[in-house]
Amino acid sequence: MNEALINPFHTLSHPTSIQTTLPAAALFAKFDPSGRFLATGRHNGAAEIWDLETKNDIRCLDGHVKPVTSVDWSRNSRYVLTSSKDWNIVVWDLASSCDPPQRYSTLRFDAPVVSASFHPKNSKIILALLTTGEAYLCDTRKGSKSRTQLHEVVDGERAGADSGSSRRSYMTVARFDPQGKYIFIGTSSGTLLVFRTRTKTMIARHKISGANVMKGLEFTRNGHRLVTNSSDRTLRQFILPSYAHLETPTTSTPTTAPHSPSSSPSPQPPPTQEIWEQDLEPTHRFNDPINKTAWHAMSFSPDGEWLAGGAADSAAHKVYVWDLSNDGQFVSALDGGREPLTHLHWHPKKSITASTTNQGNIHIWHCPNPERWGAFAGGFEEVDENVEYEEREDEFDIEDEAVLLERKMKAEEEDVDIDTIAVATSPPSNEPAFSKFNTSKAGTPAPNGDTTATLGTTPQDGLGGTGRSDSPGDMAMHVDVSIDPDALWAEEDPDDDVPGGWRMKVLMEDTDDSDDEHDKVGLTMIIS
Amino acid sequence: MDPLAGMDDSSTDDETASQTTEDDPQVPEQSHIPPPAPIVPLPPPPQPAPSTSAPQRERPHYQQRHILRGHTKSISAVKFSPDGKLLASCGAETVAKLWSPETGEFIRNLAGHTEGLSDIAWSSDSLSLATASDDTTIRIWDVETGVTRKILKGHTKWVFCLNYSQASNLLVSGGCDGDVRIWNVARGKCMKTLHAHLDYVTAVHFNRDASLIVSCALDGLIRIWNTSNGQCLKTLAEGHDAICQHVQFSPNSKYILSTAHDSAIRLWDYQSTRCLKTYTGHVNAKYCISACFSVTGGKWIVAGSEDHKTYIWDLQTREIVQVLEGHQDVVVAVAIHPIQNMIATGSIDNDLTIRLWTDRGRGLSA
Repeated sequence: MNEALINPFHTLSHPTSIQTTLPAAALFAKFDPSGRFLATGRHNGAAEIWDLETKNDIRCLDGHVKPVTSVDWSRNSRYVLTSSKDWNIVVWDLASSCDPPQRYSTLRFDAPVVSASFHPKNSKIILALLTTGEAYLCDTRKGSKSRTQLHEVVDGERAGADSGSSRRSYMTVARFDPQGKYIFIGTSSGTLLVFRTRTKTMIARHKISGANVMKGLEFTRNGHRLVTNSSDRTLRQFILPSYAHLETPTTSTPTTAPHSPSSSPSPQPPPTQEIWEQDLEPTHRFNDPINKTAWHAMSFSPDGEWLAGGAADSAAHKVYVWDLSNDGQFVSALDGGREPLTHLHWHPKKSITASTTNQGNIHIWHCPNPERWGAFAGGFEEVDENVEYEEREDEFDIEDEAVLLERKMKAEEEDVDIDTIAVATSPPSNEPAFSKFNTSKAGTPAPNGDTTATLGTTPQDGLGGTGRSDSPGDMAMHVDVSIDPDALWAEEDPDDDVPGGWRMKVLMEDTDDSDDEHDKVGLTMIIS
Repeated sequence: MDPLAGMDDSSTDDETASQTTEDDPQVPEQSHIPPPAPIVPLPPPPQPAPSTSAPQRERPHYQQRHILRGHTKSISAVKFSPDGKLLASCGAETVAKLWSPETGEFIRNLAGHTEGLSDIAWSSDSLSLATASDDTTIRIWDVETGVTRKILKGHTKWVFCLNYSQASNLLVSGGCDGDVRIWNVARGKCMKTLHAHLDYVTAVHFNRDASLIVSCALDGLIRIWNTSNGQCLKTLAEGHDAICQHVQFSPNSKYILSTAHDSAIRLWDYQSTRCLKTYTGHVNAKYCISACFSVTGGKWIVAGSEDHKTYIWDLQTREIVQVLEGHQDVVVAVAIHPIQNMIATGSIDNDLTIRLWTDRGRGLSA
């Protein structure tokens, strides 16, 4: 709505400097989907909600007795989930007017929880990963209450059979894709397992050569690309293949043809029950060639054109930024001082990142616009350099006032719209599944234009084949989405987190220090 | 249904304040007021299918419904609460007053300021009220209890105008020192001071997502500010000697509406700095008169005038569609009910009344 005024060229640059530092005593900090709040997890088991506009902590969610390991926001920010080493996941309802907010529900496990996340379409479905290397999909909806362990299916074995469990690898990271259709799980043996959320069955396994233990997964907002962090100190970006051909047999035949890439071991798509084994080749590898630092976290910009990586440097706070629209070129290493970085998250809409230090401070990075002094003078426009002025033919002609007035009146005939709110102002996550595919901020409304356009024309190894064959795949997914059984399944028995359905109540802090502080100010003035 | 009904009215220090008059002897032609009837959910009357060829537009039919007496000095602002259940007013005396728009009854005073008040603003949950005073402070009140929750200190001169952001976590105020201040409501602390203007700041307003602030001042300029970093993004200068008095964003924040001392109200596209509409016919050369968007029925622009009347324009055609007469002095304050077709107007020196006007639905546009 106001982007044009604040940022006339609609470019989303990367943040360059620290705007402010929040003394949050946090282990990590995560923006909510609207971008107004930041949720932090603390070592003492508490989680805090910070208001980015006032830079205030506005809620304290105190429900764990051991450190918080992850937080997640529901799609309209009403519910917050915290997972902890105390074996619990707690869901909080921020719409409750009491402070501290009441817990909405608690899930208890038999081991410390490493991470947990909400299903992107329904906060009643929760994915949890335990320190034992097991992942669970918890459906807390009334009709379908269940807790299902996600089993990796190893060679020659059917789902559910327990033999050969020793060959299974530990699950080290688990995430929903942005549509919630699939669950991606990274393992300790450098593989990426794909599960279908609705059926909770494994559908694909991707071997990532050289990756070793998987440490992190991040998706672009449209779900086309994925970046992984692994113990070989490398971030890899992949273009995700389409899994549409692993659908039910009825739809598999027409959609699969473009999907069996030449590199696939089996030229024919596997039947539904079998696992699609395919090696994924990264389009880009990002690492630090000099210091060989590992990465703690990485985050895509909202438009997917930038990637920020938080370096696991023990003596410095470094955020590396790569330009994905420019073939993944390294852009800069942002220096955030001496407190080492532990976590990094990019704002869902703006060129703002939050990086957490090991001292618990949260740096908010932004991209400062230079002050435009011309803005202070009405009717003036700044030009970059001198321009020779060319007078219009009739510029200084004297016109009849009546004609002028008439022209003005005519110009004012046009109808104005004062109360319709443009759709673009609502966060994209509110939109139905189908349009969500198209809301990529990269300005490429064509459904298959995103991957090719943003990644440039000279991709690295392996992309040529995958990238091109992927485009028709997107089309297939589009057709699929409109009658998507997965979305229907997820949106059954929805949560109360409707767009605009709640408001974060402003709680006024009862600090009657306004007078005291006034006195203090007076005192210091006297002293100085 | 009135949240304050039955509450202790000990703060009613002004006994005459609770008088309401159902008829106004001074305005005989409008004195026929039916007994108070529930007017809340008025179903739009059956409308004949609008013929596509006939260009005649719907007109509003506002009629005076209540006269609210109690202010002893000039009224400076009237505002409906966002839930529509209360009306707040303030004036040159040191108290703000709460009224029931439904019955016109006086409810309570909010007393605490030591000088007169220039503006009031409601938080979006209708639970808090902020008042701007000549004692250089802003007070935030708990409406239910009438207790001051916060005193915001920082302005060096009279505070002239203020508004909440949609989320009500921020408050913006303008003072006679030319400063615009952004306040953190929860802490009651000033977050940012913009040295915005060289003269009295007469209006400040947030856009919907609180990313922008528009301000105007007696230096004749309208400025748009980036809330997050305090940078000036644009300056609009009205032509010649048109000094802007009041400015606000349209409900969708695409435009701004300004009133100026050349007796014109203008709707601007602030992106292109283009004046889209001009509304004229009223008199405004001396006082700070505010204007309002009315969107509950037809789409109107409503503003007071120095000829003691209140004017209603059609948003699109810019024609005057109704003139409300009754006040005995300049109408400086005007407010639009958020849900019903109701207008509140307030006047100064020789009048000191607030009048509530309702449109019973005949003029609802389909």
